[in-house]
Amino acid sequence: MYSYLNKFLLVLLIAIIVTPIFFGILGFLLPSFGYFPILGKYEFSLNYFVISSNIPGVSKSIFLSFFTGFVSTLLALILSQVIILNTFETKLYKLIKKIIAPLLAMPHVTMAIGLVFIFTPSGLFFRIFSPWLTGFERPPNFFIIPDDYGFFLILGLVLKEIPFFILVSISAIEQFSAKKIFNVGKSLQHSVFSVWCFLLFPLIYRRIRLIVFIVIAFTASVVDMSLLLAPSTPSTLAIQILQKYQASETNSLFIASNLALIQLLVIIILILFWVLIEKIVSHKLFFTIFVNCLTFKNNLIKNLTFIIVSILFFLSLLVLISSFLWSLAGDWYFPNFLPKTLDIQNLVEFFNENKKIIFSSIVISLIVSLLACLFVILWVELTDGLKKKRQYIEWFIFLPLFIPQISFLIGIQSFLIPLNFSDFLVPLIFVELLYVIPYCFIILVPSLREISKDFLKVAASLGKNKFEILIFIKIPMIMPTFLLSIAIGMLVSFALYTPVYFIGAGRVTTLTVEALNLALSGSKQDLGVATFFQVIIPIIILLIVGWYNNNFLKWKF
Amino acid sequence: MGFQLFKTSKNFLLDFYLFIFVFGLIFFSLTSYASENENSWEVILNKSSGDTVFFHAWGGDKNINSYIKWASDEIKKKYNISVKHVKVSDTSNVVARILSEKNARKNTNGAVDLVWINGENFSMMKNNGLLLNQNWIFKIPNSKFLDFENNPNLLNDFGVDTEGMEMPWGLSQLTFYFDSSYIKIPPRSSIELKDYILSNKGRFTFPQPPDFVGTSFLKQVLIELISDKNLLQSNYEKAKHQIALQPLWDWLDEVTPYLWRNGKSYPSNYLALTELVADREIDIGMAFNISHASNAILANRLPKTVRSYIHEKGTLANTHFLTIPYNSSNIEAAKIFINFLISPIAQLRKQDKNFWGDPSVLSMDKLNNQWKNKFNQIPRGVATLSNEDLKMKLQEPHPSWVKVIEEEWIRRYGSKN
Repeated sequence: MYSYLNKFLLVLLIAIIVTPIFFGILGFLLPSFGYFPILGKYEFSLNYFVISSNIPGVSKSIFLSFFTGFVSTLLALILSQVIILNTFETKLYKLIKKIIAPLLAMPHVTMAIGLVFIFTPSGLFFRIFSPWLTGFERPPNFFIIPDDYGFFLILGLVLKEIPFFILVSISAIEQFSAKKIFNVGKSLQHSVFSVWCFLLFPLIYRRIRLIVFIVIAFTASVVDMSLLLAPSTPSTLAIQILQKYQASETNSLFIASNLALIQLLVIIILILFWVLIEKIVSHKLFFTIFVNCLTFKNNLIKNLTFIIVSILFFLSLLVLISSFLWSLAGDWYFPNFLPKTLDIQNLVEFFNENKKIIFSSIVISLIVSLLACLFVILWVELTDGLKKKRQYIEWFIFLPLFIPQISFLIGIQSFLIPLNFSDFLVPLIFVELLYVIPYCFIILVPSLREISKDFLKVAASLGKNKFEILIFIKIPMIMPTFLLSIAIGMLVSFALYTPVYFIGAGRVTTLTVEALNLALSGSKQDLGVATFFQVIIPIIILLIVGWYNNNFLKWKF
Repeated sequence: MGFQLFKTSKNFLLDFYLFIFVFGLIFFSLTSYASENENSWEVILNKSSGDTVFFHAWGGDKNINSYIKWASDEIKKKYNISVKHVKVSDTSNVVARILSEKNARKNTNGAVDLVWINGENFSMMKNNGLLLNQNWIFKIPNSKFLDFENNPNLLNDFGVDTEGMEMPWGLSQLTFYFDSSYIKIPPRSSIELKDYILSNKGRFTFPQPPDFVGTSFLKQVLIELISDKNLLQSNYEKAKHQIALQPLWDWLDEVTPYLWRNGKSYPSNYLALTELVADREIDIGMAFNISHASNAILANRLPKTVRSYIHEKGTLANTHFLTIPYNSSNIEAAKIFINFLISPIAQLRKQDKNFWGDPSVLSMDKLNNQWKNKFNQIPRGVATLSNEDLKMKLQEPHPSWVKVIEEEWIRRYGSKN
């Protein structure tokens, strides 16, 4: 039985997502052709495409976005699979499952800042070897970070996306009998590697394909990381858009919108390109070549990749350590490997001055995350009766992640200003919701749908209504996942940069925006401090959830 | 005669009444105007209690942020007005925001209540009618401490007449600094600087234009190299003035390959430059604040041996201002905050190197002896030049040149790699 009320509510939920997206797209689509009645512009022309193509360095920017987006997604996907296949069914695998969340918790900005700390010519890396080995009394004039082709941007993105791919792959693995397939393959004398490539990966990939597309869309349009790691003469397309948007000229909004449209096109082409590669890879011919190559280089590849992965993991750790060190440093000039003086004054000062921002960041993320989880639970309840249709409408949930953030937000913004909102918090929460819901969905939905129907039938036969079943049976049964999803939702919200920058308009600000402000203009010490808080708060959130879940599980058994 | 007298007296009486009437009217209106003026400030004060001002100001410098925080706390204590410092990375964003609000006809209740501004951005706001009415600054009580008559720079912003639509807040001058334990004699002109860069590959750079300081550096070089400085005071016309810029491009063509990171990457602003000097990635830093080096030494951000200098023929100097957008949601409270920011107590603290080190805009002659003494007793930082050393000041070019320089720099050097 599928009531009209259900249908109405479902349509309402879809509308919550689709309406802002519709206006977001319209808000950059119309101005990119010079047409925007709200701003009193009625001409309709391709003029702005000409202007966009004449922006100095724009073709290099487009290339950079395309290149960094494609390479980082591909590398992150491959490396995540290498990690899982090399650890599957070992103790390490369980460990990874545990530590993956904190790694995910590190905001993109933090990773970028950390890489800058390490790899600039005056950074930690050169300090290790200077002056005793290199003879450098002062930093060399090397061109390292940011580099010409965005390799450091790729490195940063890969480091951030690997944990994400691992997380979704693990949850994909748990959806089918991977262990059985794995063991059968191995008993047939196949190598771990080939079992993975030919049996498991296709099954995993099918389940995470959507996520891969999301990562493509994200990496090809990332703003915060580009600001720190991408080359600047010129930078990526996303940064060109940002700069045009910020320029105080009458038609700059139109140029920015036009570039935003181009950004969307870049991503569409990139995804089509990816689909083409999927076709090639899954072709028989490719298979045979691949198998022939594999037979003798198997171990070499395995070892090599494992070394790369260890380096990457070590780097992530170093990023955290160096940020913490900077937050405590007094004077710390090149080539000193460690700070000359340490004090916590910087930390205390920052905390005192930014108490309100820290507090509001946490509160906003909590509100957003709770709303998102509520949304997802409602969604699952309402789509329960739908079978085939469900798959199609679930695309709506992920839709916001496919549109480049910066394009979408410029679009939304051009509608928000005329609407005369005097409040910035409500629109911000609303927009953040669009970005948080998909992540809560990924975590919450599998376990919600796995609850055995038998329990629910028993409850129903005891006269409990749907609401009571939800509150007293379903949610308690998935409590650990429910809490984890709230925590992850908070972390996603906490790390968002572009939405807060645009919608908050400086009036509502969060720690991530402050950290980037400092990154672009402050001292390394202040930056270290901001990074410290940015990492420590998510870790605390996760620890609380972990601790509660442990106790909960003990109590349960 | 009597008749005559009578007649006259009648006229006289009429004239007398008329005179009394007119005089009374003028007197009354004058006094009422004066008292209304007196009152209105008080009324403003009372009315604004509990209000919030969103102050959009560049937020990259910790010292300045702390100073603004202090001022906000004071105004909260005194008048119960909350000032929220919206930390901006580039003031042109703020102008863009107000402009889009105007385009969308959001003529009241705008997001920006008060802006820290000068030069190009002010000119942009003025040209687009984004400012409050003319001459409002003279109605701010503490403006009596500013000597507008004898100090034309207080009413002139990059050659643009402010028309009393922005309040002077502080004085800036482009200042260079270097570590005296490694460099004995710094290059003190653009020509000397070029030789220095060519013989010390990778040890000089400037913030990436359109950053404010980066663009100012380009303007500085242009002023030193241009054959006729007077051209820079007129509106830029491509046909006439394009050639005048050529010496700057020639200079940069020679120098750019020898810059830090071979001129392929630039620091984002003057604070990033400070970090580079501190780690000795580069030799020379620059800032638009005469106390910057001293402040950085105090904060452990630069070695104690760093010293400041300016070019022989002077460096760019200007005034920075505070202004209120026409659609500010809280004009009165913003005015009260401005009044506080130009009060002797706030300006004294601003000039103190321990807080910000930005020179006061107040005229010593207009202050009483007590304040005069206080201002005279402020110690200068170790790396701050004396007034004598800072005497040579160069005038800012007309804002129309700035955009051309920025765009052309981006085209030639900022997008080629």
